[in-house]
Amino acid sequence: MPTIEVSHRDLCRLTGRNISVRDLEERGILYVKGEIDESSGNELKIDIKDTNRPDLWSAEGIARELRGQYGTETGIPKYNIKKSGLVVRVDKKLRAVRPYTTCAVVRSLKITDDVLSQMIQLQEKVAGTYGRNRKEVAIGVYDLHKIKGPIDFTTVKPTGIRFVPLEFTRKMTPKEILEKHPKGREYGHLLRGFREYPIFIDSAGEVLSIPPIINSNHTGKVTKRTRDVFIECSGFNLKFLGPAINILVTALADRGGIIESVEVQYQDRKITTPDLEPKSISLDVDYCNRVSGLNLKPEEMCLLLERSRYQARNRKNVIELLYPAYRQDIMHQRDVIEDVIISYGYNDIDPEPPKLATVGKSREIESFVERVTDAVTGLGLQEIITYILTNKENIFRRMNIPDGRVVEIENYVSSNWNVFRTWLLPGTLEFLSRNKHNEYSQRVFEIGDTVKLDPSRETKTRDVRKLCAAITDTRVGYEEISSILDALMRNLGTKYTLEPTNHGSFIHGRCARIVSRGSRIGFIGEINPLVLENFGLEKPVIAFEMDLEKIFESL
Amino acid sequence: MYKLTKEGWKYLEEGLPELNLVRILKNPLSIDEARKKIKNFNIALQWAKKNGWIKIEKGDLVLVREPKHVPELDALRKVSQHGSIDEKMLTMLIRRNLVEKERESIVKKAEKYLKEREILNLPPELIKTGLWRKIKLKPYNVKATGRTVFAGKRQPYNQFLLDIRRKLIELGFREMYGSIIETEFWNFDALFQAQNHPSRDWAQTYTLKTPKHGSLAEREIVENVKATHENGWKTGSMGWGYKWDPRKAAQLMPRAHGTACSARQLAQGIEVPGKYFSIVRCFRPDVIDATHGVEFNQTEGIIIDESLTFRSLLGVLKQFAAEFAGADKVRFYPDYYPFTEPSVQLSAKHPELGWIEFGGAGIFRPELTEPLGVRQPVIAWGMGIDRLAMFKLGIKDIRELFSQNLRWLRNQVMI
Repeated sequence: MPTIEVSHRDLCRLTGRNISVRDLEERGILYVKGEIDESSGNELKIDIKDTNRPDLWSAEGIARELRGQYGTETGIPKYNIKKSGLVVRVDKKLRAVRPYTTCAVVRSLKITDDVLSQMIQLQEKVAGTYGRNRKEVAIGVYDLHKIKGPIDFTTVKPTGIRFVPLEFTRKMTPKEILEKHPKGREYGHLLRGFREYPIFIDSAGEVLSIPPIINSNHTGKVTKRTRDVFIECSGFNLKFLGPAINILVTALADRGGIIESVEVQYQDRKITTPDLEPKSISLDVDYCNRVSGLNLKPEEMCLLLERSRYQARNRKNVIELLYPAYRQDIMHQRDVIEDVIISYGYNDIDPEPPKLATVGKSREIESFVERVTDAVTGLGLQEIITYILTNKENIFRRMNIPDGRVVEIENYVSSNWNVFRTWLLPGTLEFLSRNKHNEYSQRVFEIGDTVKLDPSRETKTRDVRKLCAAITDTRVGYEEISSILDALMRNLGTKYTLEPTNHGSFIHGRCARIVSRGSRIGFIGEINPLVLENFGLEKPVIAFEMDLEKIFESL
Repeated sequence: MYKLTKEGWKYLEEGLPELNLVRILKNPLSIDEARKKIKNFNIALQWAKKNGWIKIEKGDLVLVREPKHVPELDALRKVSQHGSIDEKMLTMLIRRNLVEKERESIVKKAEKYLKEREILNLPPELIKTGLWRKIKLKPYNVKATGRTVFAGKRQPYNQFLLDIRRKLIELGFREMYGSIIETEFWNFDALFQAQNHPSRDWAQTYTLKTPKHGSLAEREIVENVKATHENGWKTGSMGWGYKWDPRKAAQLMPRAHGTACSARQLAQGIEVPGKYFSIVRCFRPDVIDATHGVEFNQTEGIIIDESLTFRSLLGVLKQFAAEFAGADKVRFYPDYYPFTEPSVQLSAKHPELGWIEFGGAGIFRPELTEPLGVRQPVIAWGMGIDRLAMFKLGIKDIRELFSQNLRWLRNQVMI
């Protein structure tokens, strides 16, 4: 969800109407799926929630929509394109590294501070969010008068050329730029491993840019004095690059710029960009009413859609629509229906809850767990919850047992939380270690999910609900905990036996396995002082842990 | 109280020995002769002489006078009937060991004892014998609260979630199942999120080191989803227009949202009309701060019926706002979710918190429902209940929902 900054004054000027911040907040901004995040004086910070509508990520784009909704200019926006005569030749050597580009020229710009800041912001948001951090779309804007066509989009060896990158004063090779320039360090990974880098270079040998890294300081610097610009978008897929260039040029055209096309020559074909030819879709009136529940007449729908910048024509219960080429979010009639409803106004709809006769129901295991929780709290223990994520140190090494197999996260944020717990006791001991200053005796339990590897299943894992209970005090006796286990099992109607065993986490000779119906379901005993030490605990702890699903299944 | 001794009883039955002696002395009798005839001769001799009834002359016992009235006998009779006699006689009879102080029974003794003081504990014996009626129990200091003890109780956030679950069940929702570790297929692909969509970026979701790949769902569903992504299949959509990669879909990841449960439920088969919900733990690689915990719970669900429209969706949200946030005013904002169209965000006016963002919802895209074999409209909703939980529990930092502070847990009220 991009957050963009716009000037309120600029927005009103572009809309051709004075809209108060309050009116914007309560009505206007809803038309662009926006929310005013912050407003201080003239400055507005707006969250645009639709990640599929990059055309709305600028003052120009928002104003275009508002002109429609406030009635100053409805229907599909018209853009004329002249031919610039400029040619961009695309080298086939780019195939692996960055094969496609869409380009345009925009002339007669009057670049003010507002225009400049919106232009830079739109570039950043389109390349950053829509262009996946420049991977799918990188954008360059250049002073047309410093370029001599035709332009070559080709490749260059990392040390094959030297030029001054934007905001620098000395010439550098692309290799140096990747190593030393801040943008090189930020986006260099997109070129890593390639023997040659992409480059835009004009017929005079003047470098335009090394996409997706940096422009040249000479050709690629736009200031308030710049009148005419050359714009290119580069990437891997024309599906992204087409809308991207359209969004940029229409924004500038809304500022009074004149759009001119560029011929992009590939090995096997020529394309002319930008292509602002409107796209079409038809809307089934009945379907629209079935989804919206608004019971609108076709003419009403047309009116609402015209305000939403469509061209709409009603033909016997089907509305034929044209929509602007900068929109790439419309895949299905549903997308149009949402625009109908947004135009209508969400808050003008009378909500009507459905009356459906359904029977509510909990999952059986959850009802079982509720009863177990009742039983254990009834035995005087305080329930706790801890995280399912933990680390190997906690669940194995500090517990004095060998490492076992676990589900492990690759791109973890913190090494404290990079594996899924296999048992609850370590979390319980950690909890107790954080409460040494609190009143004893401490009697706690947790019922929670653990994750076990299970190759037989679709997810190769299985969630296992377990119960862990622990008591700590200056003096504790084994029977204090075994009596709780016994009371619980009697109340669950589960027969079980305790079989002496050894376990690294428990004191030798003070640990038993809990066995029920021939199945090993858990452990009970007094915690090994070595483990207490590992958790910084100073008082003895007795505990048991068992698998609740096995008990549940045997009921 | 006094009673006769054994000897006293004997005397009462057999007569006083001294009297018996007097009676055989019509004629003087030798001492030896008399001794043979009289029991307790020595006593009889001693008392008959002392009373001046007889004298000894030349070794014979001689009658002096026969007594007309013997008060001792009357006194014995009286004592035997629990009557009272004069002090002098009593002293004399006691000295003669004919009368003794009657020993009190335990019960009598207790009665007397209990009458004298207040007692602290009420022993079962007193309750059984009914003697509690005769006692006085010492008053307690009823203002004393005693040693602090801690109730065994639920974790407050868990209790809150349980209340939400119950309410959803009351509203007719059935609980869905999902797995903590999911394939990307259920987490994304089945929800019509393109494989190159930014929300599938590694920075937005966790990926697993082990295990890496799961297996894919039923073949038909996989084929439908693939076709829908690539060209829209039969859904009337254009699709995303790229080559769908089954290997990417089979990658495993920790569940990033509860919607994965909804996708599974739709594929598994669903009752129409139907309402389903899940409250499940979700995992995202957020940097942890006051608004982002290590893990979080998502509360969400779906409603399916032929009759559902966007209007009914707003009706559902309004009902939720009233039921869960106590809000009578709501506002709806157009919103974007990759898997719903139209989409809406709900703001509710909480009586104390004011306007809060309370949930997101929408109608599932046909590109989601149709490949899973569902023809009817499906409303999908999610509720931000953690904010309400924090308000209810009086905490400012979301991490405290998983509080590690035993004192805080102990001191939280249960209602």
